[in-house]
Amino acid sequence: MSLLSLSNVTVRYGRLTAVRGVSFTMAEGEVLFVTGPNGAGKSSLLRAVAGVVAPAGGRIDLADHDITGRSPETIARLGLSMVPEGREVFGSLSVEENLLVGTGMHAGTRGWRARCETDLAAVYATFPILKDRRRSQAGLLSGGQQQMLVIGRALMTNPRLMAIDEPSLGLAPNIIDQVYDRLTELRRHRALALLIVEQSSTRAMMVGGRMMLMRGGEILLDGDARALGQSEAMQSAYFGYGEH
Amino acid sequence: MLRRGSVVRRTIATPIILSALILALAIFTVWSGSRPFNQTVIDVLLRVMLVVGLYIFIGNSGVLSFGHIGFTCLGAYAAAWLTMPPMMKGMMLPGLPGWLIATKLPYWVAAPIAATFAAVFAWLFGLVLMRLSGIAASIATFAMLAMINKIYSNWSSVTGATSSVVGIPIVRDLWPYVIAAILCIVIAWAHAISRAGLKLRAARDEPVAAQASGIDIPRERLVAFVVSGWVTGLAGALFAHSLGVVTPDTFYLAMTFMALSMLVVGGMSSLSGAVLGVLVLSLLIQLLRGLERGVDMGGVALKIPNGLQEIALGVIMIAILMFRPSGMMGNRELVWPRARRRRAADAAPRSSTNTQPTGVHR
Repeated sequence: MSLLSLSNVTVRYGRLTAVRGVSFTMAEGEVLFVTGPNGAGKSSLLRAVAGVVAPAGGRIDLADHDITGRSPETIARLGLSMVPEGREVFGSLSVEENLLVGTGMHAGTRGWRARCETDLAAVYATFPILKDRRRSQAGLLSGGQQQMLVIGRALMTNPRLMAIDEPSLGLAPNIIDQVYDRLTELRRHRALALLIVEQSSTRAMMVGGRMMLMRGGEILLDGDARALGQSEAMQSAYFGYGEH
Repeated sequence: MLRRGSVVRRTIATPIILSALILALAIFTVWSGSRPFNQTVIDVLLRVMLVVGLYIFIGNSGVLSFGHIGFTCLGAYAAAWLTMPPMMKGMMLPGLPGWLIATKLPYWVAAPIAATFAAVFAWLFGLVLMRLSGIAASIATFAMLAMINKIYSNWSSVTGATSSVVGIPIVRDLWPYVIAAILCIVIAWAHAISRAGLKLRAARDEPVAAQASGIDIPRERLVAFVVSGWVTGLAGALFAHSLGVVTPDTFYLAMTFMALSMLVVGGMSSLSGAVLGVLVLSLLIQLLRGLERGVDMGGVALKIPNGLQEIALGVIMIAILMFRPSGMMGNRELVWPRARRRRAADAAPRSSTNTQPTGVHR
């Protein structure tokens, strides 16, 4: 059974079509990079999956639930956690409050409090810097720390699938390395599926996993990241020369 | 929420300091023994309740509301219905149901009932309004204010229309107002540190990320709207008892403007700002009122034209919005001096790369 499946999903903003009839499936624990040039529709695809924009057509299923057009908070409850582009921390809240604010959706269920503590400890173990800064205002953290905070916040909801929009945007290369180290570590330990949007395919080639290349709202290529990255088809699809 | 105890410990200073300020003002008033000053301080305390009520919704949600004075109107009239002598109600407001005409409650029983009446309407309006965001929500709250005002200005058998409703028992004692103002401050603080308040501020900072974290934004806004409706409704009930007279136009644009300007000047997303904004601007209003009446200065009468009071408020509000948009308190709260130093040290190893311009200090 697939964890996430899209069939013929279209996203429109007014008369502009950002995603044109995209279909794919993702398995439990899989890493999938969506790459492509600016304006390829990568972020729109991610936003449709997370419910931030309602798709104009098609169907999206998350673990046997039809989530097409459902609200983001409902989808979050079903186990998809989105990390939006631009490291949107809750700037006026403390680091720890940022982490705890999303856990309320399971409030009241048995053992919720204990699970919160365990999850919090796990996030602090993964990102020790967050523990050191837990009383600080999230808005005062550095860019890399904020990226770790939003990933930690997404983890607190215990997702089966984490959708991350451009985690490397605006970060220094060594910080990007750290972020990806943590992500791959998490995937290994938690059997967490990752759907990552990145503009450049180099990161996907380094990390490995599956890669899809989008252009003009469609998926042009889909395959193993390392194999695809070296192929000529990739080059021509990305830059759009050749017969395209 | 989790670690409730530690959150309370870290934030309790704010309501304590603010309540102490209110108490100090009250003790000074009683000590001075001046009747007019007593009335002035009652007005100040009512404004504290109003602005704190506005803060609960506006401060935590970031959605500007022009409509809360409508709840003040609902609270004031409900208090009048519950406390006026039955005979006067029978003559002035014959449209009221018989059981309500026959009811006469002490003001301190009627006030929380009147506040709850306002809160119920806040819930009903909120069910619709809280689905809107940004400027649309603000304009809709304004429409709500206009609707409430029009209904109360025209339903003569129930509200007396535009003529004054008189015969409401007058409460001149200062302490009920002091207690109510402190109660409102404590409610605002409790809501702000609650899970609902936390979620609402998260949604204010980053709506998309908040939804992605499973936060139901309309629901959290509705909670704050109802709580703030209760507080502004309570202010309305006590307002009715402070004057003994109500008219619908008392609770309209002038009061909305005054309350909002106090909140803006103090700092929209700070409870301390809400209270200090009232205290500072009330002092200023009092000075300007004195000048409007005219002051004799060594044989020369110094008098400013009437209406300058509102103009001065407007100028101050614009100046604050231009030069210090987050208000006097700049989104911070009053804390013990030692705690502030500790917190500053905690935040000290900050990076210069990604600090956000607003909403950072709390």
